Amino acid sequence: MKEHEFYVGMEGREVFWNIPLPAFEILLFALTAVAMAIFGYGVYRRWQMWKAMGKPEMRLDNMGERVKAVILEGLLQVKTWRDLYPGIMHGLIFFGFFVLIFGAAFDAGQHHVTEPLFGWTFLKGNFYLGFSFLLDLFGLFVLVGVIMALDRRFVTKPDRLGYKGKMDTTPDDVIVLLLIGAIIVTGFIVEALRIHVTNPPWEYWSFVGWLLAKTFTGVELDTARTLHLASWWVHAILALGFIAYIPYSRLLHMITTPANHFLQSHKPTGYIEPIRDFENAEAFGVGKLEEFTWKQIFDSDACTRCGRCQDGCPAYLTGKPLSPKKLVQDIKTFWLEKAPAAVKAAKAGEVPTEEEGGKALVGEVVDLHELWACTNCMYCMEHCSSSIEHVPKIIDMRRYKVLTEADFAPELQLTCRNMENNSNPWGVGAHLRGDWAKEMGVKTLAEDPNVEYLFYVGCSGSFDDRGKKISVAFAKILQEAGVSFGILGNEEGCCGDSAMRAGNEYLFQALAQANIDTMNGYGVKKIIAICPHGFNAMKKDYPNFGGNYEVYHHTEIIAKLIADGKIKLPEALKGRFVYHDSCFLGRYNKIYDAPRQILKAIRGIEVVEMERTLDKSFCCGAGGARMWMEEDIGDRINNTRTKQAMDVKADTIAVGCPFCLTMMADGIKDNQMTESMQTWDLAELVVKAMGKEEIKPPVDTCAV
Amino acid sequence: MRESPRLCDAQEKEVLTVNIIACVKQVPDTEAQIKVKADGSGIEEGQIKWVMNPYDEYGVEEALKLKEKNGGEVTVVSVGPARAMETIRTALAMGADKGVHICDPVFDGADAFVVANALAAVIKTLPHDIILCGQRAIDDDAGQVGSMLAEALGLPQLTLVTKLEYTGSTVKVIRPIEGAQLSVETVLPCVVTAQKGLNEPRYASLPGIMKAKKKPVDVKDAAALGIATDAKAKVAKTIPPPARPPGKIICGDEPAQKAAELGRLLREEAKAI
Ligand SMILES: Cc1cc2nc3c(=O)[nH]c(=O)nc-3n(C[C@H](O)[C@H](O)[C@H](O)COP(=O)(O)OP(=O)(O)OC[C@H]3O[C@@H](n4cnc5c(N)ncnc54)[C@H](O)[C@@H]3O)c2cc1C
Ligand code: SF4
Ligand code: SF4
Repeated sequence: MKEHEFYVGMEGREVFWNIPLPAFEILLFALTAVAMAIFGYGVYRRWQMWKAMGKPEMRLDNMGERVKAVILEGLLQVKTWRDLYPGIMHGLIFFGFFVLIFGAAFDAGQHHVTEPLFGWTFLKGNFYLGFSFLLDLFGLFVLVGVIMALDRRFVTKPDRLGYKGKMDTTPDDVIVLLLIGAIIVTGFIVEALRIHVTNPPWEYWSFVGWLLAKTFTGVELDTARTLHLASWWVHAILALGFIAYIPYSRLLHMITTPANHFLQSHKPTGYIEPIRDFENAEAFGVGKLEEFTWKQIFDSDACTRCGRCQDGCPAYLTGKPLSPKKLVQDIKTFWLEKAPAAVKAAKAGEVPTEEEGGKALVGEVVDLHELWACTNCMYCMEHCSSSIEHVPKIIDMRRYKVLTEADFAPELQLTCRNMENNSNPWGVGAHLRGDWAKEMGVKTLAEDPNVEYLFYVGCSGSFDDRGKKISVAFAKILQEAGVSFGILGNEEGCCGDSAMRAGNEYLFQALAQANIDTMNGYGVKKIIAICPHGFNAMKKDYPNFGGNYEVYHHTEIIAKLIADGKIKLPEALKGRFVYHDSCFLGRYNKIYDAPRQILKAIRGIEVVEMERTLDKSFCCGAGGARMWMEEDIGDRINNTRTKQAMDVKADTIAVGCPFCLTMMADGIKDNQMTESMQTWDLAELVVKAMGKEEIKPPVDTCAV
Repeated sequence: MRESPRLCDAQEKEVLTVNIIACVKQVPDTEAQIKVKADGSGIEEGQIKWVMNPYDEYGVEEALKLKEKNGGEVTVVSVGPARAMETIRTALAMGADKGVHICDPVFDGADAFVVANALAAVIKTLPHDIILCGQRAIDDDAGQVGSMLAEALGLPQLTLVTKLEYTGSTVKVIRPIEGAQLSVETVLPCVVTAQKGLNEPRYASLPGIMKAKKKPVDVKDAAALGIATDAKAKVAKTIPPPARPPGKIICGDEPAQKAAELGRLLREEAKAI
């Protein structure tokens, strides 16, 4: 017997079909209230924990940008798409759920609001058909997403979902996936049973339910009704359980992650907040959890353990103990341990007492080998799908070790002393800084301050034998192109980037101030740097101390000179070239094109890309003061990077950074490739391509 | 007899506190460019970066270690012009407790004898169990002040020390000698001069640097010391070393040819082989 008669124009469905009303409706409301209460309590408790620890920090500037970030990174998930499989996986679940929630809201809206109040039903006709189709489609999406996720957790097991080969899957990860899957499956069963019983001809639009209904062929209608009611309740309770479970599980990222996108820093990439008061502080940097700002702690609660950061972390990938994911998770675990006491103390209006024998943040929660392994390459921050800010935390903890405890690697202590005494990390006599330019006819600002650009040479360009060749090459290019420039000569000082990133903020500020005083004294407006470290520091950090300049990297200037026809590159070079993106140029400053345009302008060469390139480039290993430290755990980062160039059969690694140059040159040596591989700064290559005679090394490189 | 005001305390509590004096000299940084004045009367000081004599850093570090282990007080003493105060502050930033700055223009041409006597005059007035000096100052490389100071104070001296052990009533040290090591022990008070290898001098912490600005430094002039300031030895003239002849670079692509040319030059020009 047919349950209903149907005719065209009647498309739609009774929202609470087969559900005995109003008794069950009341029960449903009651259960919803319970779920919401559990949810609300969980969020409230968490809120208290977020508030309880950490120093104040304001993150409410740039409101427009913040809202935009939530839309782009929260709603549209732009960061997750950068990795295709996980992007699709998460997208299917996220967008699927999003649409289903709208679907449920439409159902509820019609049933509880528009119909009883205005007698208006909208889930009918073509709209209903489209609505049914979309809901089934997106329901299916969620299911596919869940299966993809389960596949990653249990079959493919990519390394980034673990640490050093051990998966970090928790019961919660599985519960959440199964819960989502079960909500969708029961939803489809409910739909299928309804279709089986009511059997409206248009319901093939609900294609999943419609197909599934066929499996119920032969089931007695009364049995089907009972089954429907039962599965409806299971579905409803699972869905409510999901809501209640959010604040107690990884699902909390539905709140914390968009919140973290909203709260992300809008300072320039890699900007590090300076210490502004040395005189009155008792301790420096972050040695205790509560010395982080609340936002720095909140960060860790937004981490989804997705492992994107770990996927390109040069320290992790070469076998160091550091994984940005682990670092963030360790901070989170520590916070979860400490926060309840802090909440209690806050309620009682006390300062939480230091428990004796508690773990130390720096040294125990975060191992010192982890802390010092970071090259500040910015991969983690660039790719974190939750906008977590790892690097400032690392620098804050380094500041504690260096400034407060003065307990850090002896070789780095030597570097700092050298910077203090001779304003360069090698400790070469400061009076030798300008010597590379002696035979080049390059004037100092002391000799002629009326120039357009200050060429800030930096320590490598001034003291390192290989680096000096870059300075010579670039000065030659500027001279050929007739650019008006000068150098500071012996008045120049170390930019201080290595000191800052080592955590020696005190030394950094002294160095920065000295340079700023000199530059401002000459009225410097535009600066060109051949070292991305100085470039970045002058561009982003010097303004904090009264140094405001237009800062360019030499590759930007060279690319422009070529484009404007100011320099010609008639000479053809030979070989298969690969460009290695310096972190401080690429991820820090988005300079990806200029270096590649320069290579493109050179005749005769073949240019290839490494697998890890552009914003996914792999660090050379020298950033974050690692240039000055021993690397004795795991593989050497520079050797690993060189191998990546070897993998694409490149014979020349072109770079735009003297640190990268040193690292690649050493990598070529260590890989025994000196016969068949070379590395050059782009400025040196351009001089060759200009057909200018081979650059003579500065005389004093050849000690007798 | 020890003059330590803490001695009674220490005996009561059976804690071996120790009063240490570290003598520090301000010298030009090893990498600094030294220009001799045209009249040969000394060096031009304008551009020079001044640092603590590296051997004195070992002395200060050892003093701090002794204090940390045993309790007590570290006083740094320096003879030098106004700028020497920076070096005293450096030692205070590392952790020394107080300083004495002997500063008087009459010490400008002082020799080791005068400096040693000035230091002795000050140290006599301070409680002292162990007096640490660098084995030599890297500026004039005399290596005399430590020994003269011991003489002036009438104390035993242990020079060129690479290991130091304080027992409470004696000091045992290791000093390397040609092909062997000498283990020497002496009673307190005594003078010890530090050699490289004694320890790794610490990097001053920032709280240390900040606190150093507020630590007491007693500035004394020659009159306050009541010593003769006439130098026994005077620097007659400072002469720069002869300019090094320019190096030669042998260019070419053939290693064999380059080696042959090197051989020829060594034989014919340098007459080295
Ligand atoms: C074992 C030994 C071997 C030697 N071998 C040679 C040799 O081969 N050839 C040669 O020509 N000479 C040699 N000498 C002599 C030696 O070079 C000089 O006597 C000696 O180096 C004096 O150096 P100085 O004045 O630089 O050191 P000093 O000035 O005596 O410095 C020693 C320490 O005294 C303290 N001090 C010095 N000045 C001050 C100050 N103004 N304020 C506070 N503290 C101060 C510091 O702690 C300093 O480290 C040798 C000496 C010794 C002991
Ligand atoms: S900045 Fe680079 S090295 Fe440091 S944790 Fe992040 S990815 Fe790893
Ligand atoms: S820190 Fe960011 S990228 Fe790394 S695991 Fe957490 S959410 Fe993912």
